[in-house]
Amino acid sequence: MGEKLTHAMESHTAFIINLFGFKIPVSDLVVTMWIIMAIMIVLAIFLTRKLSLIPNKRQNIAEIIVEFINNMVKDAIPHHWKAFAPYLGTVMLFLVLANTVSIFNIIPGGEEGFKLRPPTRNINVTICLAVMSICVVIYAGIRYKGVGGWIKSFVKPTPVMLPFNILDYLIKPTSLALRLFGNILGAFIVMELIYMALPIFAPALLSCYFDLFDGILQAYVFMFLTSIYISEALE
Amino acid sequence: MTGTGIIAIAAAIAAFTGIGAGIGIGLATGKAVEGIARQPEAAGSIRTSLLLGAALAEATAIYGLVVALVLVFLKM
Repeated sequence: MGEKLTHAMESHTAFIINLFGFKIPVSDLVVTMWIIMAIMIVLAIFLTRKLSLIPNKRQNIAEIIVEFINNMVKDAIPHHWKAFAPYLGTVMLFLVLANTVSIFNIIPGGEEGFKLRPPTRNINVTICLAVMSICVVIYAGIRYKGVGGWIKSFVKPTPVMLPFNILDYLIKPTSLALRLFGNILGAFIVMELIYMALPIFAPALLSCYFDLFDGILQAYVFMFLTSIYISEALE
Repeated sequence: MTGTGIIAIAAAIAAFTGIGAGIGIGLATGKAVEGIARQPEAAGSIRTSLLLGAALAEATAIYGLVVALVLVFLKM
């Protein structure tokens, strides 16, 4: 049982690209993320085709999603929300799909072969997302306060706070990455254990909480915290 | 006692971080319910900040989980 669990937790090489004699191994995490990206791109093109003043059904769906994201970013960043809403929305939509991707497994059962599992269960993926977020925070500080103003913000309110302000830029991405990784991996392990213990009925109910609710909540929290950090950097 | 046993006990101690998160989320939810009972029209904004606070309080428990998992899967 432990071996099965470890096998499900780890990432595996899906296939190897042979490029000019270099062998580049591609893990199943990357393949899953490619699938998610393809779904997002296809949906984005499909929903925004033939935009018009009087929206049709497809455009209505796109408008609901965009307005929902815009309103959330507007609450956190009142003045400069327009510059950050596209990035935050993209990250949130990606995370919503990535965290809940394990419910889209069409072919059930079987340890062998490719299965859709949340790519955010690997700490490298979440660290990458957190570093991206902190880069946007630094960019926001430099873009709207200038380089001098951004450096000055390290000694505010008093110069005594300098080491804490520097530590802030290390702690923020660490906590973002570990929160997402721990939540998704924890929920993933619990779901795997449930699949092993009670393969019928129980997973359908509990998956609603562990996959859907937890995944969407963590995507929302990730985006919300990033927007709060950005609005702090703009002050 | 073998090394494996000590690691298992260490992982169990790391899981005690759940106590703090449980108390924290319980207090936050209690206060949120009080707030909604006193001012039902503010339920929407209270719910948003409650979710955020619960997610932040939960983070400590998640750190414990990560430490326990590292101990179990990397050291055993």
